[in-house]
Amino acid sequence: MSGGEYLADGKNQSLFKDKPIKILLAKPGIDGHDRGMFVLARAFRDAGMDVLYAGLLPTPEDVVDTAVNEDVDVIALSLLNGAHLTVFKKVMDLINKRKIDDIAVVGGGTIPDQDKPKLEKMGITGNYGPGTPLKVIIDHITERATEARSRKNRN
Amino acid sequence: MNVDELFEGIRKRDLRSVSRSISIFEDDLQSSKADELMKRIYPITGRAHIIGITGPPGVGKSTLMGRLSKRMKETGKDPALVAIDASSPFSRGSFLGNRIRMQDSLRENGIFMRSLSNRGFKGGLSLSALGAVKVLDASGFDPIIIETVGSGQSDLDIISIADTTAVILAPGLGDEIQAIKAGIMEIGDIFVVNKIDREGAFLAMKDIQDTLSLGKSGNWIKPVIGTNSLTGEGLDELINEIDQHKKFLGNGSGRDTRPTSELYLLLENRIRKLIESYVSDDESTADIVSLVRSRKIDPYEASEAIIRKSFGHVGKN
Repeated sequence: MSGGEYLADGKNQSLFKDKPIKILLAKPGIDGHDRGMFVLARAFRDAGMDVLYAGLLPTPEDVVDTAVNEDVDVIALSLLNGAHLTVFKKVMDLINKRKIDDIAVVGGGTIPDQDKPKLEKMGITGNYGPGTPLKVIIDHITERATEARSRKNRN
Repeated sequence: MNVDELFEGIRKRDLRSVSRSISIFEDDLQSSKADELMKRIYPITGRAHIIGITGPPGVGKSTLMGRLSKRMKETGKDPALVAIDASSPFSRGSFLGNRIRMQDSLRENGIFMRSLSNRGFKGGLSLSALGAVKVLDASGFDPIIIETVGSGQSDLDIISIADTTAVILAPGLGDEIQAIKAGIMEIGDIFVVNKIDREGAFLAMKDIQDTLSLGKSGNWIKPVIGTNSLTGEGLDELINEIDQHKKFLGNGSGRDTRPTSELYLLLENRIRKLIESYVSDDESTADIVSLVRSRKIDPYEASEAIIRKSFGHVGKN
C-alpha cells in the first residue's frame, strides 16, 4: 500500500502539529459496506488526524449534526450503492441551509466518472474510487482541511 | 466568531458556538482567545453537576454513558457528554470511537456529545476537557458526563474536575480488580458492574463490596450497582445513586474543593508544558543528550545539568 511518508513507522508526524485535522467519516443512506471506511480511518489516524466515524446508516441530518457538534474540518462521505447524487446532495443542502462554510466535504466510493463533475459542482471534491492510493486521498484531504481551517480562523 | 459572539452563542446554547468554543480550549495556539473566553464564562459556571465515568478498557463505559444520558433525558434532565479517546503516541492522530457506541442514543434524543483526543496526556483526562466542561456548564447543561480514556490504574485526574466519579467494571476482570484496588478503587464514589448478565457478575459485585468495606469512606457509603446496557437494567438505580451523591455533596464540603483541584490540575499541566518548551528548544540540551548517548555522563547527572542550566537562575534548594 502506498501511503508514502505519512505512513512510515515513526515518521508519521502530524501535519497540523498543535491541532490535528479532525475528520468525520460517514456513509449516509442504506449502505453497510464499511470495510473501506475502516481502512481509511486507520490511514487517517496514522497520518495524524483525529478521526470520527458516524457509524452505520446515519441520516444526512445525523452527519451534519455530528460534524457541527464535533467541530470537524472535513466530512468524508462514502457510498457504494449508487445513491451518491441523492444522498450526498442532501448532506450539502443541509450544510448550505445552516450556512456552514468552514467544513470541507469530500466524497468517495463507486462513483461513475460522469457523476464526478456534478458532485464537484455541489462542492464535494475528491470522489475517489477503489484502488486510489491512500497518499492521494490524504493529500487531498489535507488540502481541503487547510482551506476549512483558514476559514474557521477567519470567522 | 469573536469572543463576544461565542459568549452570546454559549448563553443561547447555539451548538455551533458551543462546539467552536470547545475547540478553542482544545487548541493551544489560540490560548489568548481561550483565556479571554474563560474570563467571560467562568462567572456563570458552577451550576452543573459533573459526573466522571472511568474504568478499564472494554467494560462498556461508552455504551453505558449513551444509555444513561438517554434515560436522564427521559426523566427530565438535560445532559451533555464529553468523551476522551487516546491519541497515537507516534502520529498523534486518534480514532475517536466512543461516539459509535452511543450514536443511537444520542440521535434519538438530540443529546450533545463531544469527542476529545487526549493528545498524549498521561492522566486520561485531556486538559481540554476542563475547558469543554466549563463551556457546557455555561450553556446550562446539567449534568455534564465525562468519560475518560479507559486506562485503569492511573486514570485519576477525573476527580479533579468531577463532582461524582463512577467507576465502571465488568465481571471477569478477576485478579485485575485486585490489581486496581490502590488506584481506581479509591477514586470512585459509585461503583458499577456492567454486563451484569455475564457469568461471575455476582462475585464481582461481592468482591468490590468486600474491598470497599475495608476502607474508610467518610459519611458516604459507596454503592455497588449492577447494570446491563443492553436491557437498561440498573440504570434507574445508578441515576438515583448519582442524585443521592449530589445531595450528599450539597450538605457537606465535597463540592467546594473542586475549584482548588481544578486549579492545581491546570497549573500542573501548564507548568509541565512550560518546562518542556524551556528544555527542548535548546542546543545545549541536545549536547547533554548526546553525551548521555555516548555514555560519557549518566542520566542522573545529565538531568541535574539540564535543570541547573535551564532553571539555575530561578533559585536552588
